[in-house]
Amino acid sequence: MSATIRPDLDVKLRGAADFGVDVELPGMLWGALVRAPVASGRVRVLDLGPARALAGVVAVGPADLAELLPDRAESTSEPILPREEIAYHGQPLALVAAPTLEEARRAAARVRLEVQPAPPRIDIEDEFPQWPHGAATRSPSIVAHVLARHGDLERALASADRVVEETYRTAGIHQVALEAHACVACVDEGIWRVRTSTQSPFGVREDLAARFGLPERAVVVEGTWVGGGFGGKGAALLEPYALLLARAAGRPVRLALSYREEFELGRSTLPAVVRLATGVKDGRIVGRRVRLLLDGGSSLPGRDFAVGYSIGFLLGPYRTPAFEVEGYGIRTHKPPFGPHRAPFAPQCAFALESHLEEVARSIGADPIAFRSAHVWREGDTTPLGQPVGPFGLATALEGAGALARRWRATTGPGEGVGVGVGFWSTSTRAGGEVRLELAPERLVIVQGEREIGSGSVLRGLAVVGARALDLPLERVRVDYESTATAPFDSGVYGSRTVGALGRAIVDAAAGLRLTLAERLACSGPVELGVDDGEIVAVAGGTRRAIRALLRPEEAARGIVAVGRHYGHASEIDETRVVDGSFYPYTDFTGAAHVAHVAVDRETGAVRVVRYAAFHDAGVVVDSAMARAQIEGGIAMGLGTALTEEAIWSEDGRLVNPRLLDYRIPTMAEVPVPEIELIEGFAGAGPFGAKGLGEPPIVPVPAAVAAAVRDATGAHVTELPLTAERVARALKLL
Amino acid sequence: MNDDSLTVNARVLPLGSVPDDERLLDTLRWRLGLKGTKEGCRTGDCGACTVLVDGHSTLSCLALTRELAGSAIATIDAAESDPDVAAVRTAFARAGALQCGYCTPGFVMALAGLRKELGRRAGPPELLAGLQGNLCRCTGYASIARAVTLLAELDP
Repeated sequence: MSATIRPDLDVKLRGAADFGVDVELPGMLWGALVRAPVASGRVRVLDLGPARALAGVVAVGPADLAELLPDRAESTSEPILPREEIAYHGQPLALVAAPTLEEARRAAARVRLEVQPAPPRIDIEDEFPQWPHGAATRSPSIVAHVLARHGDLERALASADRVVEETYRTAGIHQVALEAHACVACVDEGIWRVRTSTQSPFGVREDLAARFGLPERAVVVEGTWVGGGFGGKGAALLEPYALLLARAAGRPVRLALSYREEFELGRSTLPAVVRLATGVKDGRIVGRRVRLLLDGGSSLPGRDFAVGYSIGFLLGPYRTPAFEVEGYGIRTHKPPFGPHRAPFAPQCAFALESHLEEVARSIGADPIAFRSAHVWREGDTTPLGQPVGPFGLATALEGAGALARRWRATTGPGEGVGVGVGFWSTSTRAGGEVRLELAPERLVIVQGEREIGSGSVLRGLAVVGARALDLPLERVRVDYESTATAPFDSGVYGSRTVGALGRAIVDAAAGLRLTLAERLACSGPVELGVDDGEIVAVAGGTRRAIRALLRPEEAARGIVAVGRHYGHASEIDETRVVDGSFYPYTDFTGAAHVAHVAVDRETGAVRVVRYAAFHDAGVVVDSAMARAQIEGGIAMGLGTALTEEAIWSEDGRLVNPRLLDYRIPTMAEVPVPEIELIEGFAGAGPFGAKGLGEPPIVPVPAAVAAAVRDATGAHVTELPLTAERVARALKLL
Repeated sequence: MNDDSLTVNARVLPLGSVPDDERLLDTLRWRLGLKGTKEGCRTGDCGACTVLVDGHSTLSCLALTRELAGSAIATIDAAESDPDVAAVRTAFARAGALQCGYCTPGFVMALAGLRKELGRRAGPPELLAGLQGNLCRCTGYASIARAVTLLAELDP
């Protein structure tokens, strides 16, 4: 790979990329947050007077919102600053800004705040010692409920040779993008403008407009380079606060989180408990009952936060004739639930794969052969009634199984090999648009996303554009515009960028060819090429430089064509849905991973020795970027598997809000993986591409847990597999 | 160079107006506008803010500027003239060893410092061992490891 291949290499290697934290405007103030000192309770006194008495300080509290946002409809939106009730420890209650950060922090500390604490709800199992069941359950703590069923589960389980019932627990995890949230806002002549490190400029605009009671055209979001997203920068977080301060101050305001604040108020994936009961008869799964309790933090009722999406992963990509799945989102005194790369799917895969391993062992079956016998093939039907499209997971599992046998033949004492499977789908239903500008010497793809690191924007979209118009890659550039002028896009999440925006490029390219055919006065297909450094259009023996086809008004931008893609999925069978919303899959992607671990027999510490990944990659758009996503996803998954765990005290404080105590993998803990890309099973993206941002993290905890069990016999049912948990499972503690 | 100044990328910075408790990271980013050095955790756990102080890799979030009086600081922003930084950049570019790029300045400066310390003949295992204090959340370190291998193969 070279600098010409990944266009952001040079700017990033010179330290010249301006991230959200680097934005500095003339005359800007520095913002700070006044945060809740307890996780639950009521604000008795919030007096901003002592802060405002300091020179140059601007302060905003809930009482100021009506004046700052006269068109806001308070009753219909989430409170920007709570008037009374505290939702979680560290929640912003008021805002201050001052000429320096020190002065802002000093002013925040001067705010007179009195609260009446109340006991917080922290542990979802304390809240529901008896599991809720059915629509009869009524509790103000339940903010989401889904229930679906199909087939005669009772009869299936009653007739089974064996029913294996287990409970799994998973920890809260944080995205740990190394750049904490940061933005700079200003309000000028009725335009609310923010420069921010975000995965979704248009999503932030929509959220700001809705919460502020503004028309979308009055809000302009300009993305910066993003220092890691992983789902944590998909929605507005600091932008409303920075804009309110800028409005009150009449000057630009910078607001950035310290890394401790990043842990304490960033939106991340929270703990969960999963119960699985699977019946088998004659070596085949006959039915499964699934119950899920997912901690929603202070998510509001009615806001779906992954329960309806993730619960399907607890049936997995496996044939399951009869089932009942029921999931609850539980409100606790933590920040609202937020997505983390493939939200909650690695946790589901860990529970289900570990469970299937147990089921297979209970009937004396080979765990990999048992899964192979059940894994979906094209033409199968999902539990919710969608036909399964092209799907290479069976091939991936075959490859993983063969490699696991080879590795197992060479493992030493205390070592083991495990296989884990993960399923995902490319989220192209979230749509997007692009504008192509064909100039005499280059094609520019104009769109609304900033590169977050995966390469999907700057590299992936350029490759699609080059391929769609038969141009050499060095003739194609991807440009970004703010929400004021860019074509709409949903955001860089859901492994959708190449899929959805790539399809929009293909759409625009078809329009561009039609325009060129018209100008060449030719009805046949138009080909593009390069002659003497100039792009040329060729059709029916006619060959003309683009320069010669431009109209006077096209001198600046070239010939323009717009394209859009709003993907769709086959419908789910609503007769199987009893309550709540479930999400249909647009395509079927997945992976089987192989982990080789060594377990310390005295401490329970797990070391990953070797790792391999077999991915259904659809049609690969760019092999180097695909592999890079898999390498990165595996490392992140190893953190979920082994060390990462947000821990809250009983009074609702995050105990480990720093990188020394919340441990992500270091270079010494991640082996360079072997990767196999399986092609030919077309997905929802251009040319049959499938998203690869999220799938690589999904199977990792499952593969590691299986390897630990293979190495030691320890059946650990809780993530992460810390040395302590493994030691307890081995009765060393 | 004397007790009342330090040099940053060959430019002299008088320390007269710098408070005693100002961190080098903040001096670089907000006093001098050298934003290439990144703030990560600010507690010395992530390595994103690594710079060279008299050729030694140093966490600028834990260093007090005034205590470095008389030293020469090199940051990612203007290190073209440093042959070790140039070699590391070449290796990273060839290996495509970055994604979001936020940890990259820290990795580049840490590796350049290791190369100065261990010599240009240092092998990949020694270099990799010295990078454990730098966190990367995107790459899984695989492409960085390939860059380190390439670096060891570059002509001294």
